[in-house]
Amino acid sequence: MLNATLTPRESRVDWPMWLAILGLMLVGTAFIYSATSTRGDLGVWQRFQESSLLEFFSWLLRQFYTRQLIAFALGLGAAGAICLVDYHTLARWSLVVYCAGILLLIMVLTPGIGSVRFGARRWIDLGFLNFQPSEFAKLAFLLLLANFLSRPLEELKEPRIFFKSLALMALPFVLILKEPDLGSALTLIPVGLTIMFVAGAPARYLKGLALGGAILVTFVVVDVLVMPPQWRFIPLAQYQRERILVYFGASFADPDSPAAEQRRARERQRAKTYNIEQAMISVGSGGLAGKGWREGTQNTLGYLPRGVAHNDFIFSVIAEESGFTGSLVVLSLYGVILFSGLRIASQARDRLGRLIASGIVALFFSHIFINIGMNIRLMPVTGSQLPLLSYGGTSVLCTLIAAGVLQNIYIYRKSL
Amino acid sequence: MLALMLPLAVAFVGMGYRLVDVQVLRHESLFREAQSKTHHTELREARRGEIRDRHGNLLATSAFVKTVCANPEFVGRFQNEVASVLAPLLEMDERELREKLKIRTYVNSKGETRIDPYEVLKRKVPIETWNQIQTNMLALTVAGEPDKPSRSEARALSNLRRRAIFAEDYDDQIRIYPNGPLAAHVLGFVGMRDRMSVGGMVQELQGADGVELKLNELLSGLPGWRVVETVPKGELVPFRSQDVEPHPGRNVFLTIDSGLQAIVEAELAFLMREHAPLSASAVIVRPQTGEILAMANCPTFDPNRPGDSKPEERRNRVITDVLEPGSTFKIVPASAGLAEGLVSLDTRIDCEQGHFYFAGRRLKDDHPSGFLTVQEVIAKSSNIGTAKIAIQLGKARLFDYIQKFGFGTATGIPLVGEVVGIVHPPSKWSKLSISRIPIGQGIAVTPLQMVMAMSALANDGVLMQPMLLDRVEDEDGHVVIQYAPQEVRRVVSGATSRSMVTALKAVVSQDGTARRARVEGFSVAGKTGTAQKAIRGGYSHTAFFASFVGFFPADAPELCISVILDEPKKPSYYASVTAAPAFRRIAERASKYLSLQPDLPMERQTALTRNSVRVD
Repeated sequence: MLNATLTPRESRVDWPMWLAILGLMLVGTAFIYSATSTRGDLGVWQRFQESSLLEFFSWLLRQFYTRQLIAFALGLGAAGAICLVDYHTLARWSLVVYCAGILLLIMVLTPGIGSVRFGARRWIDLGFLNFQPSEFAKLAFLLLLANFLSRPLEELKEPRIFFKSLALMALPFVLILKEPDLGSALTLIPVGLTIMFVAGAPARYLKGLALGGAILVTFVVVDVLVMPPQWRFIPLAQYQRERILVYFGASFADPDSPAAEQRRARERQRAKTYNIEQAMISVGSGGLAGKGWREGTQNTLGYLPRGVAHNDFIFSVIAEESGFTGSLVVLSLYGVILFSGLRIASQARDRLGRLIASGIVALFFSHIFINIGMNIRLMPVTGSQLPLLSYGGTSVLCTLIAAGVLQNIYIYRKSL
Repeated sequence: MLALMLPLAVAFVGMGYRLVDVQVLRHESLFREAQSKTHHTELREARRGEIRDRHGNLLATSAFVKTVCANPEFVGRFQNEVASVLAPLLEMDERELREKLKIRTYVNSKGETRIDPYEVLKRKVPIETWNQIQTNMLALTVAGEPDKPSRSEARALSNLRRRAIFAEDYDDQIRIYPNGPLAAHVLGFVGMRDRMSVGGMVQELQGADGVELKLNELLSGLPGWRVVETVPKGELVPFRSQDVEPHPGRNVFLTIDSGLQAIVEAELAFLMREHAPLSASAVIVRPQTGEILAMANCPTFDPNRPGDSKPEERRNRVITDVLEPGSTFKIVPASAGLAEGLVSLDTRIDCEQGHFYFAGRRLKDDHPSGFLTVQEVIAKSSNIGTAKIAIQLGKARLFDYIQKFGFGTATGIPLVGEVVGIVHPPSKWSKLSISRIPIGQGIAVTPLQMVMAMSALANDGVLMQPMLLDRVEDEDGHVVIQYAPQEVRRVVSGATSRSMVTALKAVVSQDGTARRARVEGFSVAGKTGTAQKAIRGGYSHTAFFASFVGFFPADAPELCISVILDEPKKPSYYASVTAAPAFRRIAERASKYLSLQPDLPMERQTALTRNSVRVD
């Protein structure tokens, strides 16, 4: 007690993490502005002078950067609200949250509720916002799994628990896969595995799981790259097959198929590799210092497609306009957040806190790695978002809520 | 936690390494790739040089033209106003223009509806017209224009006036022949050619025939280029490090005299109507220099629209076609006989009363005679007399003179498609040849070779190379190349050629075959030829080449003129009534045009009114 009173100045806010988050929010807004404002358009100030106040605000509200700023505000509010409640209380509601998440995932699959964009049913159109339930479901799953595994170590050794954990993961996985959104679905796996690993699930189970996954991935890749059409037995959608081919730089065309079909396949390949090639050119042409904000030719002239520049490919925009320096700053900011997360996990008061914190770190990390990896061709193309940088309300909200949970755990950390 | 930290660190190092690889190590090549999308090379076409005649009259020129386009979005609701400004300038229907100025939308690859900002109104609009359009558009007034327009209204009006109607950056070039078909076969025409250039494939003018093709290199000049950059603001900025001025083509001056050319072409058109030949050709040469003053064929074509013509109309028959010359060729054996001293003009030759058997075949004269002097043989165009001179000469010497007169070799005129004719060496001759070749059978020559051979006799026995190019100037009028007359060789001595002139004057005398070639006030020397056309297995009795080649004034020749008709049909096929009078008409008009000094008293004209037909 004495100790506690003597350290009243011990911070209750994890400043490094929040400063990094703030930095990312600033970078994100600036480059969403760069990626979405058209040249020749009136500037904000000019717009303000020339149109009536009502017109001005309705125009402003339609701008991507304004909407992103609103999402930041809402997210920070939600994070603050979460910090008011002890995470143990939150965890008690995790089953409810999980069920709500599953319900939303089912709803989004229902025609009439979920809206279809780019051939996938991933969004619920709320008018002012396109809500993406899979983002929310990932967080819900994380909480529930952490809560479920924060039980005595002996119980974890029981296969029953292990398989239940797998079932908890499989349910949202299958539903998200149905949308289809393989990229989002796959992020559940590292999150689940991390929590199980940190919780102390038997190593042989985890090893078996990892081995099984590796074998599956190998099968898929071999199936796609090597097997002739009549020998393919893994049911992949054509676009998924083609994404893998793009990643490995292999040809779409079957050497045995008719010439016309081969030509069509090559055309499709050009179209499919276009984005990723333009992203590479953007990133590489930025060089050390970059071309300057709003001066990137790939971005402003639309070679990097405008439809994706502000969300999936925002990293390319940043890399082009601010160069290697900018990419390094972004990576460092993410590094600060991730290592803060790990520090919070290690300082957590109990296993529940540790599991939640490490799960969140795994979630952040998968998003970052999948997205940046895609931009620099380390990973195949999946529709994934870069936390706090990509445009997207749901992603921003969920990321900030998760950061709020980390902060929550930080508040109740073990005092040193 | 350490176990988690490790894969995290590995992944970050991996991403960092990849970023170094892409952004630092591969920066150069990827930067160039990004730059290649924004840097464009604009070709700056060189203006094709002009072709002018000897006096500087324009025969072919080039003009840059614009493709005038509209951006209907900027035109907005002012289609009527804009259309009424453009219609008279573009020479288009106002209603059609209004239609084109309406806003059109299209659906792009992403399924979004977009306004089409590009509508071609008219191509090949002259620069002057385009400048006028710009001026008129700037001055465009619209109904209900507010005195103090708001910012957005002002911008819309400015866009309407400055940006609604625009021209494509790249100027096309068109070739214009202001005189239409005049000298078409000499000038040739141009086509479009795709050429790989710094900026990619470009279309450029390329000579397709005649002088346009032969001097294409000189005329076309060198294109320049300019690298432009699209900056992020979307504007085009000329990138000054690569701005290469084009070098315009050279201007070529021909020896052609437009006035004489027009006289000749008018005469050919008349001949086509009057005698209905398959074709007619004429050439005027200045004997002393070999300068071609006029060269024409009928049927002809308009080089402004070469596509509308048939290939046979585009053929320059004077150099591409061969004919068995017939009697005009007799100047060769006659000159040779005189030059070798075998005969003189007074030597009498037995013309066998019109029937001469040689090598088992009969040679006929249309007008049987007994003994004729060599001068009479030429004047009356006796086949038998000429053949006898050739027989005296022998194969070798005859062949030698045929070659000396330039037959069997290209004249070297700077045009494309010249043929050499058909001249067999003596080793391939039959027994009959020595009696037939001298009268222009069994040998094929081009009309140009024939007129150059005749010019040699007019030029004191010296064969000249035909000269078509006078000089080449650069765009500032500095002479770059001055061409000089080229002697080919002396064919016969001056004395021989003077004898020949005497004989050839007799041809055009009262008793000669070409009475109708006489020109008022001038002494004329020349030779007719009515040659049976060679057909399969022999000679046609219905199809003839009728030709006359002559020069005047006979003793101080100014012009050597040849006229050839292929199968004249009415009133007869004889050269004396077709080609000879044509020569006269051309010569008369040419002498007036050139203000030549008559060398004969004018009372001769009375003799011209006689009207009996005499044939060679």
